[in-house]
Amino acid sequence: MPVPQHHIVATPPPFDEPPYPADIFAGQTVLVTGGGSGMGLAMAKAFAQGGAQVAVMGRSMERAEEGVAQIAALGVRAHAMSCDVRQPEAIAAAFDEAERELGPIGLLANNAGANFPILAEDISPNAWNAVTRIAIDGTFLCSTEFARRRIARGEGGAIVNNSAQYIWTGFPGDAHSAAAKTAQATMTKKLAADWAPHGIRVNAIAAGFFPHDTSTAGRREGGIAPLQNMIPAGRTGNIWEFGWLSAMTCTPLFGDMTGQVIVQDGGESLRRSLMMPDFVPPRERADGPWGWQ
Amino acid sequence: MSGWLNGKRARIEGECPAIASALAAQGASLVDAGDCDIWVHIAPPPPIKLAHELTHAEWRDSLDAGLDRRFLGAKDFAGQCRARGTGGAILFVGAPEQALGADQAAAAGALGNLTKTLGVEWARDGIRVNSVLTRDAGDTLGNLAAYLVSDYAAYVTGAVMGIDLDD
Repeated sequence: MPVPQHHIVATPPPFDEPPYPADIFAGQTVLVTGGGSGMGLAMAKAFAQGGAQVAVMGRSMERAEEGVAQIAALGVRAHAMSCDVRQPEAIAAAFDEAERELGPIGLLANNAGANFPILAEDISPNAWNAVTRIAIDGTFLCSTEFARRRIARGEGGAIVNNSAQYIWTGFPGDAHSAAAKTAQATMTKKLAADWAPHGIRVNAIAAGFFPHDTSTAGRREGGIAPLQNMIPAGRTGNIWEFGWLSAMTCTPLFGDMTGQVIVQDGGESLRRSLMMPDFVPPRERADGPWGWQ
Repeated sequence: MSGWLNGKRARIEGECPAIASALAAQGASLVDAGDCDIWVHIAPPPPIKLAHELTHAEWRDSLDAGLDRRFLGAKDFAGQCRARGTGGAILFVGAPEQALGADQAAAAGALGNLTKTLGVEWARDGIRVNSVLTRDAGDTLGNLAAYLVSDYAAYVTGAVMGIDLDD
């Protein structure tokens, strides 16, 4: 069922009207893991819209290069690298390479992740390890590499982690990602506490559904159209909204913010929308506010 | 950077200079009464007292300011939004749940779940509802408030957040 015409759906400004000036990250370099496509690319573009130079780290060099081409088109320097975020030596080498090309990395976006719907009993040890370790170990290893370098320079910095809206509710049918994404959120708070004395801020976005070319939830008959009415906000997210909020946490505008997990999901997590029928506001339920009186 | 709130009318109930100046700097017109697109409610922090030293009157004052007035004000504001057929944004600002006394713990906990409830219940009226529970009163609070009531936060509703590690 489509969203009824009389419902009001809040929408953001278009991509070319970011919420911060084009030089807010001028002179700074951000490293975005998994930044070649999807949500990572949205983060990378948002940082580029604020004037940051962008290092993109991806497992696939080809995909990282494709992303870098789109980022560079926004008028900033960008550099693509291939790296497995589960390998600490490879991460250190990639940071070295990025800093040689673009200068010291003062901003980090931990986005690298893998996810696919599967019953818990069908998750093989390899699949479990892949999904959990890319997100959990990858976020830890990239963040600690970043922090050691910032602390050595005597300079602060900012990290933003891409978490998910299902971190407090569980995600039946996606057990590996449910575990992984919550670990990212809970480590966000502790990393923020550990590094506050060094001026390094750490925040996370618990993101709802922002459809993109590689998102699995959109791969169904009818595409994402049937999903719109399941979400209280009346729509799935525009991916640049996610990129903007991620980058915004790293700006001086939010300069005192650290240790926060901000939910950006159009109310989805508050009603488990992707597993439930279309959303009908309590006022419009045929049988009263609870729907069964 | 300015202009997140161009053309929006905002009513702020309670005192927070950083929020008032950030909303105005982003282009909002601040109004004292009447129709508005944004309603921000700031509850003053109650004094810190041990629970067994709180009188019932003190307890009630905290709950009135930290919870009841917020619900009733939100209800009025949402009614205005529905009557004019446009959406709106509500933001509750106050101290963190465990920062003060038991009165604040009760009020802020109730407020958090109220935020989540109203955010969903009024979603299709285009009305967003969020809360910031913090002791910060500086520029980050002002900027965060301005962001949350702007269209840039169109996909943020029912969210409860703080600012720093103590929140």
